[in-house]
Amino acid sequence: MNNNERSGFSDQRSEQSAELRAQSSGEAMTGSANGLVQIEAKKPTLADVRAKLANQKGKKFWRSIDELAETPEFAEMVAKEFPSQASEWIDPVSRRSFLKVMGASMALAGLAGCTKQPDEPIMPYIAAPEDLILGKPVYFASAFPFASGAVPVVVKSDSYRPIKVDGNPEHPYVRGGSDPLTQASLLDLYDPDRSQHILYRGETRTWPAFLAAFRSMLADKKPSGGQGLYFLSTTVTSPTLAAQWQQAQKNYPQAKFVQYEPVNRDSHYTAAKQAFGSFVDAQYRLDQADVIVSLDADFLGGATFPGFHKLARDYAQKRKLDGTDQMNRLYVVESVTTTTGFKAEHRLAVRPSEVAAFAAALASAVGAGGASGGNWTDHQTKYLQGLAADLKASAGKCVVIPGEFAAPSVHAAAFAINQALGNVGKTVVYTDPVNPMPSIQADDLKALVADMNAGKVDWLVILNANPIYSMPADLDFESAFNKVGTVVHLGSHWDETGEQAHWHINNAHYLEMWSDARAYDGTVSIVQPMIDPLYGGHNAHEIVQSMLEEPDVSAYDAVRGTWKDQLSKGDFEFSWRKALHDGWIDGTAYTPKTVTAKAGGIAASAPASGDSVEVAFRPDANVYDGRYANVGWMQEIPRPVTNLSWDNAALMSFATMEKYGLAENDAVEISVGGKKIVAGALAVPGQADGVVVVTLGQGRRHGRVAGGVGYNAYLIQQSGAPWMQSGASLRKTGDIYDICVTKSHHIDQRSVKAGGDGSWTHSIEGNESLDRGIIRYATLTEFKANPEFAHEGEGHDTPEPDDSMFPAYRYDKNAWGMSIDLNSCVGCNACVTACYAENNIPVVGRHQTKVGRIMQWIRIDTYFEGDLAAPRAHFQPMTCHHCENAPCEQVCPVGATVHSPEGLNLMVYNRCVGTRYCSNNCPYKVRRFNFLLYSDVYDWDNPTLALMRNPDVSVRSRGVMEKCSYCNQRIQEVKIAADKENREIRDGEIRTACQQACPTDAIIFGNINDKASRVAKAKTQERTYGVLADINTRPRTTYVAGVLNINEDLAKQLGEYST
Amino acid sequence: MAQIFDRSSNALARMSLILTGLITIALGLTLDELQRSPWVTRQGQRADQPVPFSHKHHVEGLGLQCQYCHTTVEKSSYAGIPPTKTCMNCHAQIWTNAQLLEPVRHSWATGESIAWTRVHDLPDYVFFNHEIHVNKGIGCSSCHGRVDQMPIMYMQNSLQMEWCLNCHRNPAKNLRPTSEIYNMAWQGASELRPVWCAAEDVPAGSPTAGGVTCTETAPGGEVQMAALSSPLTGLHTQTAATAIGSENTMPMTLPAGLHYTKFTSQDALGQFLVQHYNVRNPRELTSCEVCHR
Repeated sequence: MNNNERSGFSDQRSEQSAELRAQSSGEAMTGSANGLVQIEAKKPTLADVRAKLANQKGKKFWRSIDELAETPEFAEMVAKEFPSQASEWIDPVSRRSFLKVMGASMALAGLAGCTKQPDEPIMPYIAAPEDLILGKPVYFASAFPFASGAVPVVVKSDSYRPIKVDGNPEHPYVRGGSDPLTQASLLDLYDPDRSQHILYRGETRTWPAFLAAFRSMLADKKPSGGQGLYFLSTTVTSPTLAAQWQQAQKNYPQAKFVQYEPVNRDSHYTAAKQAFGSFVDAQYRLDQADVIVSLDADFLGGATFPGFHKLARDYAQKRKLDGTDQMNRLYVVESVTTTTGFKAEHRLAVRPSEVAAFAAALASAVGAGGASGGNWTDHQTKYLQGLAADLKASAGKCVVIPGEFAAPSVHAAAFAINQALGNVGKTVVYTDPVNPMPSIQADDLKALVADMNAGKVDWLVILNANPIYSMPADLDFESAFNKVGTVVHLGSHWDETGEQAHWHINNAHYLEMWSDARAYDGTVSIVQPMIDPLYGGHNAHEIVQSMLEEPDVSAYDAVRGTWKDQLSKGDFEFSWRKALHDGWIDGTAYTPKTVTAKAGGIAASAPASGDSVEVAFRPDANVYDGRYANVGWMQEIPRPVTNLSWDNAALMSFATMEKYGLAENDAVEISVGGKKIVAGALAVPGQADGVVVVTLGQGRRHGRVAGGVGYNAYLIQQSGAPWMQSGASLRKTGDIYDICVTKSHHIDQRSVKAGGDGSWTHSIEGNESLDRGIIRYATLTEFKANPEFAHEGEGHDTPEPDDSMFPAYRYDKNAWGMSIDLNSCVGCNACVTACYAENNIPVVGRHQTKVGRIMQWIRIDTYFEGDLAAPRAHFQPMTCHHCENAPCEQVCPVGATVHSPEGLNLMVYNRCVGTRYCSNNCPYKVRRFNFLLYSDVYDWDNPTLALMRNPDVSVRSRGVMEKCSYCNQRIQEVKIAADKENREIRDGEIRTACQQACPTDAIIFGNINDKASRVAKAKTQERTYGVLADINTRPRTTYVAGVLNINEDLAKQLGEYST
Repeated sequence: MAQIFDRSSNALARMSLILTGLITIALGLTLDELQRSPWVTRQGQRADQPVPFSHKHHVEGLGLQCQYCHTTVEKSSYAGIPPTKTCMNCHAQIWTNAQLLEPVRHSWATGESIAWTRVHDLPDYVFFNHEIHVNKGIGCSSCHGRVDQMPIMYMQNSLQMEWCLNCHRNPAKNLRPTSEIYNMAWQGASELRPVWCAAEDVPAGSPTAGGVTCTETAPGGEVQMAALSSPLTGLHTQTAATAIGSENTMPMTLPAGLHYTKFTSQDALGQFLVQHYNVRNPRELTSCEVCHR
């Protein structure tokens, strides 16, 4: 796939889509100067859509704005079961050649079964490792080092190849959950674009050659104490590396070590330093909190937020309503629409510049100091007062969480509020920082760039950073870079920085090296290598170590040395092995510090005028700051909230779009401080007006996956205020930017008589969600009054098994089922990524995604509800329901999808001939058809990716339907183990990949015939309901309806939740 | 105008209709046979191997136990192909100059694998598991044939799906006591070669064969333990038998406390073993997900 094809600006396609739109809408076309055919699309106004929503009574859900607005594009996209082209041959085939091909196929049809398999070789070991049993995976504990705290992991290793990364289930911090980035770090290891050599000015060199050059430089600089030697590193996560550097600093007192990465904790540390006099981390204990307030903190969004795994778990635990009717309540005040905001009972969208003022006003309202000024609307004032009252009423049992991308004054306000309400020590504790060398990174970076410009930097050693790509534009890092004598770049890829550096050293992946890191609670984990470095990579430990007296100490010995004292209480070797085995060192978790926040620092600058455009910057939910941009899974998996895939966009509210005359997919030029980027406009429900959100991490020049995707938001970032810029301007360029979004999957083709709306332009999910109770929820009061709410109303009944023309199956022993708690699901995508890794799901690429051929077996459906500007949203993981009365089974002409005695709905790939009847008949739209040898193109030809494949799951070829199997390979593995021991399968012994990855324990899988199993118990809850169960599919996957613990007084004041 | 076709053409037309039908049927039958033929399945074919390894010599001649090389057959889906080291255990001492063994020595010296050609090769979408088969009483020879009589390894059975299902639909006809798994000459129970089996209750969670004891010699009298389960057999050595046997004054005598049943047909023996080995029923065993994932 070439870049041109993936680029959003494809004239040809723009033309096509414009023509299509013109045909379908019958609008007049106007030519434009650049040759693009343009039309004035008749976009409904905000008022139209609002009116449409206002006319609907009761709980009404919608899937996308296009659908609400009935745009022609939407009609086109859902016009077929698979959006445009998805069900057609992609290359034009003439009738004549079609007949020729078909004739030959018919002649050969009978011979297909006679294909002889090619000879396969067996390559045995020379001497087998003693404890290796081929065919049985081995699990090793390690940790995924990350700037916001390491994720302790257990790595599944097959023949010593890591094939799956999951949270360590026994680790006190992570408890088995994970997140998309942790899951995707696996594909990062096997990325075929990884740098494979040490290069000097583009020519291959050896490691000793580099060391010789480095040491001769060190010898030269020794007299001057290392003057002119600078390091630029991403946030150091390894205590050993920090210790190594501190030693090196003694030898070279003039050398400088600067940490900078685009997603840093400067706001928090600035505020912490000011309030507490030292760098501390805040650990929130949501298991103790009844009221949670997020001030622009996306703490349920993913590993980007420090402590995400524990926060998400504790948050969800208080919403299980398991034997209790107490649950927590979440308020979110946010400037960027996030999943956290959509989980909130009460959400307030504000502009980025208003967050600080709101925090100050809140601090003032709860008596924690701060000015109460600010120009607040009536709605905002009511919200503020209601929130403050609730906080005061639950003093000691509430917590205020400030966002990492909010100004330091927001953090200061949060410190003050938590202290004033007596939360410190209860719902929030302060500990030493998780990173061993905390610093205000932006300040250090500016000093570094100044030194570079002043010519003071002889040697710049860049450790794992890609500054040429990811520096705020105002620093003009590239020109400073060119003034440095010698640049060494240690990196996993020969990237934008690598190609300009003098030396490039290929970095070892964390799965290939020894290191150590702390989880956010401070617990130390040893990072141990799972595989010999694929390309002989080196790491930062080795480079820094070479500055010490003993330059050849390996990373392994260095790490052991760091923890020698800690582990020497008993026998060191035993304790070391135990630490490696368990995945953490006992007794290293931080103990809370007693600190008192000094007053002050809350004063916020006045919000920018409402007329100007504010640009908010955020790391991408999937590709983060760009380091995962070359990971296909991360590009492809749709982002939460926006469903963007293979793209980033300028996100703004519907009203903002209208104000600037934009429509979705219009290219818009965003100018900040003289710098400009062009992005596609995309409407995001619930975004504050006058705000454009841009995401970092795309617009890379390098990488066969990353190259040419989206725009580079660093080009308009400013180092002074990296997360927010006011005074930006927007300009419609007139081009079309073809944004890649996966929204709907299934058109409703039923006539009015058959229950459809007869329009043939709406997605079935959208239509059904209006009146079929796909999403069911109640407020806590409603739930207490009527626990059976999920089963009442039209379409909410479940027919008896006998109400079918097909005889019911009997399930004698096991009957597998799944329960998904919608109250716990935070829409983080961990399950989706885990499914990709477990089930060898291919990456299909931008174009194929755009025509609806994304292969994900589990997806997170987001249903919006209510007003465009302030909607609520509900996340629903959607995967094969393994219906007991499955519509797909009944239509397969070749018996490729069949029912198992345990109730699994099976796919037999080798039987499938690709009629796709099953997919047509599936009401849940969870079957994915493998159109184009995706695995061939991306995997089979690629020896490195083949190493990553799960050997227990078939790699599917073209022409095969595939879908969720309830992780059948795991079921079979456990069944064999149980059969060997002559016992029943224990509850919890089988865990599906999605269940294992879920940080909030929202997914439970097990045997529903065993009444004592967790899943059977979950299914007996009153709130359990089956999606579309009224059509008698008898789904094995059921959902537990959500319950919202709303603040009744505030809801009345704001006019929310009135049905 | 004369007719283009005279009357005889009618016969020709009829004939050709019948012929077309026959040819179609013949073609169908041919293809049907063809795809079952050794040409496609490679049943019985001897592949070219880098070393003409003789199972006959090593197993029948020297008495090597299957698991000496196929170490993981009881523990994993994959029985295991021996590393070069296993060959060199002996061939560092004997036949050290044999020309035939040059590839082995080359592999040992250079660290390159010996590239064998896989003889039993299932399609990649089939997930066969050795461990559950040998633990539930399917012997090596049931699928692989008399390996001890094969100078060059070949595939005894077609390994096609119909052949698998043949047994999965009725496992009883191939089940044998787990003590006889590696017995290449096992022929099943018959009038001429009766088998006596006893079962005792064992706590749930014990290994499959823990409670079943079988013998080919009438119990009560003196029997050779070796004939029952040689120490090499390894798999589920009959704990019950040895434990009680050691208390006995005659260690080579079977425990008298067990209640033996005499089986004179494989069917009866199979049914007994299905019950006591807790083999899943045919409905479960023939479900697609057992082998296809």
